[in-house]
Amino acid sequence: MIVWLAIICAGILTFAARFLTLSHLMPKTLPIWLQLAMKFVPVSVLTAIIVPAIFISPETGTLIIQDNLRIGAAIIAIIVAYYTRSTVATIISGLCVIWLLTFWQ
Amino acid sequence: MFSGKNKGALSEFLAGIKDGLPLQLAVIPFGIVFGMVGLEAGLTPLQTFFMSSILFGGASQIVFTQLYATGTPFTILVTTVSAVNLRHILYGLVMSEYLRHLPLYWRILLGYLLTDEAFAISHLRFTQKHSSDAMHYHLLGSGLILWSCWQISTLIGIIAGPTIPDNFQLGFAVPLTFIAVVIPSLTHFPQIFAGVSSGTAALIFQFLPFNLWIIISAICGIIAGTASSYLMDSRDTKTEEKP
Repeated sequence: MIVWLAIICAGILTFAARFLTLSHLMPKTLPIWLQLAMKFVPVSVLTAIIVPAIFISPETGTLIIQDNLRIGAAIIAIIVAYYTRSTVATIISGLCVIWLLTFWQ
Repeated sequence: MFSGKNKGALSEFLAGIKDGLPLQLAVIPFGIVFGMVGLEAGLTPLQTFFMSSILFGGASQIVFTQLYATGTPFTILVTTVSAVNLRHILYGLVMSEYLRHLPLYWRILLGYLLTDEAFAISHLRFTQKHSSDAMHYHLLGSGLILWSCWQISTLIGIIAGPTIPDNFQLGFAVPLTFIAVVIPSLTHFPQIFAGVSSGTAALIFQFLPFNLWIIISAICGIIAGTASSYLMDSRDTKTEEKP
């Protein structure tokens, strides 16, 4: 039940973020620093999730650098993302590299 | 919907769908990944499916599954997930110039459909020279095509996910999906600096309980990005002032 409540609460807050400035309740402009700061929200939140997903072991919760197959796969995916800007190519290349490396071992 | 004088509305609506179509190539795999990792995180198929219409925000939904899987407390989960969608305030701010005059039900509907992709596509249309009274139908078209593809691809992920064996490491698709979102946005130094700061902070603050490191690292990244672009701006104005 709590899951549904969380989905609905996050849904309401997300809708509020989208609707707020379309409602007539908000001033037409926000402070410049706030507008600037909001531009960095996606890259900051998503990188905070990407980096530990590569470097932190899901089993032990510790940092792994050696024998970490995900580092190689992520580097390939970053290169593919940079040159192709394609979601499909990025996901598939990263997954293929990690599968290849796993079966190679 | 398109009776009589509203022929212009229909053509705007169809143009919105047509302009939005190429972007679905990125939306569909994202939705499939979400459907798959939703089940893997322990959500029920119904919760996973309806999250796509209640939340309707790709990255934030995947963040939800990750936090849920690691047993994050309710308040931190809801705060972190909603924080990912804060940027939509900016889209509304830009769009309000074109949408403020519309009746409330239109603004509610278009607000709900206002995603990254729909914003990008319809903002292009809104800023074109030949403006019309029916321009908001363009956003309705680009928003609805994205909404439909998102629901369908979530469903495909929910159905296909359980057929994929565990050793395929599907969970790794999460950072990969985010890499696909983040890398193309790293066009200026402040963006790169924000990413590097937040990524480093995420490793340093791992010891924090309840996945609090996500929101703390995000704040570090936002401060780093904002501060560096302020500094660069003031440096640029200084060099311009030189004779």
